[in-house]
Amino acid sequence: MLLRRIFGAEGYKTIKNAIWTDHPIFSMCLGICSALAITNKVDNAIAMGAGVTFVLVATALIISPLRRFIPQRVRIISYMITISSFVIIVDRVLKAFFPAISVKLGPYVGLIITNCIIMGRAEAFFSQNKVPLSLLDAISNGISFSYTLIVVSIIREFLGFGTLLGMKVTPAGWTNWVVMAMAPGAFFLYGIAIWISKTLTEK
Amino acid sequence: MKERIKMIVFVLILGSILTTALVAVNNYTAPIIEKKAIIKTRMSILDALDILYTEDDVDEVFSKYVVPKEYVVPEEKEKKKFYISNTGEIAFEFSGSGVWGPIHGIVALLPDLETIKGIIIIHQEETPGLGGRISDKEYLDKFKEKRIMPELKILRPPDKASMENEVDGITGATLSCNAFAEILNSQLKKYIPLIEESK
Repeated sequence: MLLRRIFGAEGYKTIKNAIWTDHPIFSMCLGICSALAITNKVDNAIAMGAGVTFVLVATALIISPLRRFIPQRVRIISYMITISSFVIIVDRVLKAFFPAISVKLGPYVGLIITNCIIMGRAEAFFSQNKVPLSLLDAISNGISFSYTLIVVSIIREFLGFGTLLGMKVTPAGWTNWVVMAMAPGAFFLYGIAIWISKTLTEK
Repeated sequence: MKERIKMIVFVLILGSILTTALVAVNNYTAPIIEKKAIIKTRMSILDALDILYTEDDVDEVFSKYVVPKEYVVPEEKEKKKFYISNTGEIAFEFSGSGVWGPIHGIVALLPDLETIKGIIIIHQEETPGLGGRISDKEYLDKFKEKRIMPELKILRPPDKASMENEVDGITGATLSCNAFAEILNSQLKKYIPLIEESK
């Protein structure tokens, strides 16, 4: 395996866990809130995935080097202020340089703070592993979250609006599946996806 | 005791470092965001009035075709702005609460002050993809040429609007549409007489 050769056995395990075995959405059901809310348009999903990945990486770079200094009893607060600072940075940068996306995502940028994937990774991984491995874990989890969002949003935008990235791709007589544009559509898709991934990982 | 002091010191240090970073980012982005907001308002006014422009000459086109004026709202201290185009159409800002947060935009009326020329939404916090679609151009275009007297009505979809003061709503966004109609009606009723006075 190419990945095993590049990242070593430990690195390979980290990536495999993030992308498949302990997939943040399918296996641990974390970060569902934003995943349900914004996956009805592909461009929103890409922006959300990028935002979460950035905050994950930044949090890993702060928490992991400090893991020996963070007092046990205030560790959650430390994660929280780190995460919220970076989320505010993402929000400001989007507002200043990508106002169109910022308007579309609206309150969900701020809600990255409550995305349990970041908190979960900080508590379970960054606080116990060295910086390079934490960084790898952050990137893998970010990619994992992003690709799920993008796949789900492709299905939802296609069925719900008949478009992909805003371009019309369906024939003229196409009737939009309104349920796919709404949160229940995402519930159905995640349900099916979780079912498939659980069945596959059990074997 | 020593443990506690260590805890407080740690949180203080981490907090200060992160706050410094935030202040730096804020100082850097604040002027850019403010500048973008002014340009955005001007672009929205031009859009609502249906005046063509390119991204580079927004300010130029704006000062050439649009005259900003002020009007007084008795219960508010500050004067509000409205904008007259060279063909006598009037644009002004409206705002109110949607389902999840404020909705804020520009509405332009024909010189008779009873027919909509165009509507642009600058800010809204409705559910992305559902209520959020009220700010899509394709949807707002439906309001063009609609009469606001006696009042604007947004009907439940699909395709029921037949009168000249009726507009179709958006499937899955009934509450946002109702809120939007309520904002438009109340704001138009409130501000049009005041604007007419100071025209």
